[in-house]
Amino acid sequence: MKKLSEICKENVKIIKKILSSEDILVFSFTMKDGTECAAVYADGITDKMLLGEQVARPLSSESRPKNAEEAAKLLQSPENKRETEPENIVSEILSGNTALFIDGIGEALIIGMKKISMRAIMEPPTSVAVKGPREGFIEDVKTNVSLIRNRLRTEKLQVKTFKVGKQSATTVCVVFVDGIANPDTAKEICDKIESINIDSIPDSSYIGKFLAKNPYSLFKQVGTTEKPDILCAKILEGRIAVFTDGSPIALTLPYLLTEDFQGPQDYFVSPYRATLSRLFRFFAVCVSVLLPAFYVAAQLFKLQLLPFGFLLTISGSIQDIPLSPSLELFFLLLMLEILIEASIRMPRYVALALSVIGALVLGDTAVKAGIVSSTAIIIMALSGISAYTVPDLVGTVSILRLSFLVVAGSIGTYGIPLLCALLLYYLISSDAYGSPMLAPFSPIVKRDMRDALLKAPMTDLTTRPEVFRPKNKTRLKPSTERKEADNG
Amino acid sequence: MDKIKIRQICFLFAVMMPVTKMLVYPTTLTYYVKNDLLISAFCNLLIEGVIVGLIMLLAKKTDKSFFSLIEDRFGNLTARIVYAVCALFFFASALLPLAEQKLFVMQVFYENVPSIISFAPFFFVCFFACTKGFKSIGRAADLCLPVFAVSFTVILLLSLPHADFSALLPITAVSPLTIGKGSLFSVNWFTDCFFLLFFLGNFKYEKNASKKVILSFAAGAFFILIFLAVFYGVFADIAIRQQNAIAQLPKYTTAFTSLGRLDYLFLFALTLVMIFYLCVPIQLCVHCICKTFKNCRPTLPSLAVNAAMLGLVILLNRSFNELQTFLTSQAWFVFLIFAYLLPVLALLLPKKILPKYKNKKEKLYE
Repeated sequence: MKKLSEICKENVKIIKKILSSEDILVFSFTMKDGTECAAVYADGITDKMLLGEQVARPLSSESRPKNAEEAAKLLQSPENKRETEPENIVSEILSGNTALFIDGIGEALIIGMKKISMRAIMEPPTSVAVKGPREGFIEDVKTNVSLIRNRLRTEKLQVKTFKVGKQSATTVCVVFVDGIANPDTAKEICDKIESINIDSIPDSSYIGKFLAKNPYSLFKQVGTTEKPDILCAKILEGRIAVFTDGSPIALTLPYLLTEDFQGPQDYFVSPYRATLSRLFRFFAVCVSVLLPAFYVAAQLFKLQLLPFGFLLTISGSIQDIPLSPSLELFFLLLMLEILIEASIRMPRYVALALSVIGALVLGDTAVKAGIVSSTAIIIMALSGISAYTVPDLVGTVSILRLSFLVVAGSIGTYGIPLLCALLLYYLISSDAYGSPMLAPFSPIVKRDMRDALLKAPMTDLTTRPEVFRPKNKTRLKPSTERKEADNG
Repeated sequence: MDKIKIRQICFLFAVMMPVTKMLVYPTTLTYYVKNDLLISAFCNLLIEGVIVGLIMLLAKKTDKSFFSLIEDRFGNLTARIVYAVCALFFFASALLPLAEQKLFVMQVFYENVPSIISFAPFFFVCFFACTKGFKSIGRAADLCLPVFAVSFTVILLLSLPHADFSALLPITAVSPLTIGKGSLFSVNWFTDCFFLLFFLGNFKYEKNASKKVILSFAAGAFFILIFLAVFYGVFADIAIRQQNAIAQLPKYTTAFTSLGRLDYLFLFALTLVMIFYLCVPIQLCVHCICKTFKNCRPTLPSLAVNAAMLGLVILLNRSFNELQTFLTSQAWFVFLIFAYLLPVLALLLPKKILPKYKNKKEKLYE
């Protein structure tokens, strides 16, 4: 490739030869002594106002500088650097920066003038907290990192930046606290990101797929959050965060299954309330997965599972139902999944109509027509609603629910503990980045139990989770007053 | 090394070991010794406890695996032959508990008569477990602790109101010879100590490890004895007809209440523990085969062992009583040799004794 020369027009030609697109513009102007200058930039992602004020205006009132260093001093932009390689200059222009060429200087000055229209920082819809901070990440990686920097004002906060995607050159940032995060894990994650060779990264979930140890896993392999306060807490526990430009969802690694049962406001309410909420979430997930299976198994194979009174009610409701219990529930769960899929994608103005169709036509009318029983509708509804107590696991729960239903309907009651055993074997043998997925329950990590399904008071959480093997284990040093009180 | 933790071995003995003694064993024991079942069970547990203690002594003396110990003393070929024989033993010893569980599943989990196919998926789960190695045994033991604690307590509490412990009196109603016969003919249920021999070299010996393991074994033994006492207290003379004891125990409390057979939920939970524990001898069988064939990958041996086991279970589908009679009253000496004699002989294997075990804090999570 041709090298840069000291003639401004030639340099512009070199760049335009590579960037021939019509949205790559050239702004030519002269200095006080008639020296020609040219700013090359991408239309739409560069702040033209800044270009005029910080570059064109100061230069037009000055004479030709001796070298690039002197030229940089004339500019009023705080973010500028020198570049000689045309490929790097092109990459900077495409990122929204401006390349400035001045006659007599064989280098380009790269001036930071990125202008990206982005939405305001607001509460993320997937992680609403009644109490606690309401900030959420946005699509701009720099803003997201700044939100973390604003909360963790420590010199140990490390941000490593990568460009991923042959066509998109998406900025991916790995964030962790040096001295807390396990350095081996951090290195492994950085190496994996560096080795990604793909056309484009449209969202952080793409990075998540590459970071997953077992890409075929039924369960999530990477934690996610949209809230800076939660991410800071996770980073301080020894996890490593990954931001992707264009995605408001930050990834966290290593991932433990228990973290999905921890709600955003658990740390801002009483530990009793937080514990109860977590137990409810766990119970709800169990209900969501197992209730349809138990209902089918009880009806088909073991009526004794049902209390006598309840059995009479059920037997009344299932009279004249043409479908077998397993088919009936399978059909209903299928309808539920279709309704959920439709409600996510449909325009809002038809949502009301769909609710009416879903509730009245499919529900009430189906019962009246004798196609399905009212008990099955209740079971399906309870199971469907329960899954949403842990939104991050909804996908997994719905697959498991259907699997358990099929097993209970075919193998029978014994299929339920068998599938549970298979699932548990699978989970206990899933380790990622040195951390077992079911920790701190299997293997048992006693100290980490204080913030798993149960939630100890904040003052008792003195150590970081051992399972992440943090370098610095102490999170909180008890005050002397407290120590004295404890000693009586 | 360090594939299984001392804590996990403790849980294996304390909470997983008792579940296999809660199905056919109480009935069989009652058949031989009637109300003296506690004495007979105590004898078995005491002997097994001593063997556990001896194996822990061996663990203190050496950090090598059982295979390495034989290899050092008699060479690789002998070690491989011994492991091949042990694989056969594990295969045979898993057969009765499997048949027991099959019977339990068929009678308790279904109201109609299900086909053998209902039980067959167990072998798929077991195949999966076999490919995961010792780590999965230990971690499953960790999970079993709360499951067993809650389920066993609830089932016991539901049964206690109906237990009349005077049924256990007078003590030594049958002759000591009969008690001895009862112990001998139920020795196949007390071979858990043999597992420990194969865990050697796969765990780090910590300070007080022997004490912890023996105490946890004692805890497991206590649960078995309590269970037997309540079982006989509830059923007394008709205990002999109560196969699947754990399912029969709480039925008087729950059957006629508005809650229905609530105890079934806890039985399901205990079944989960049972499934985990039943996989252990088959996992060890696969481990032995892998060692025999120079540390081959476990996939193929797992597939072969589980397929063979499924074939045998189908073959012996209607011959549970014959199988039990053969294993308990004719093949009891095989269990004695492997589970008790072999660990004692293993004590003679180490050439040199470790200077002092290291009490290093564990950092890896297994």
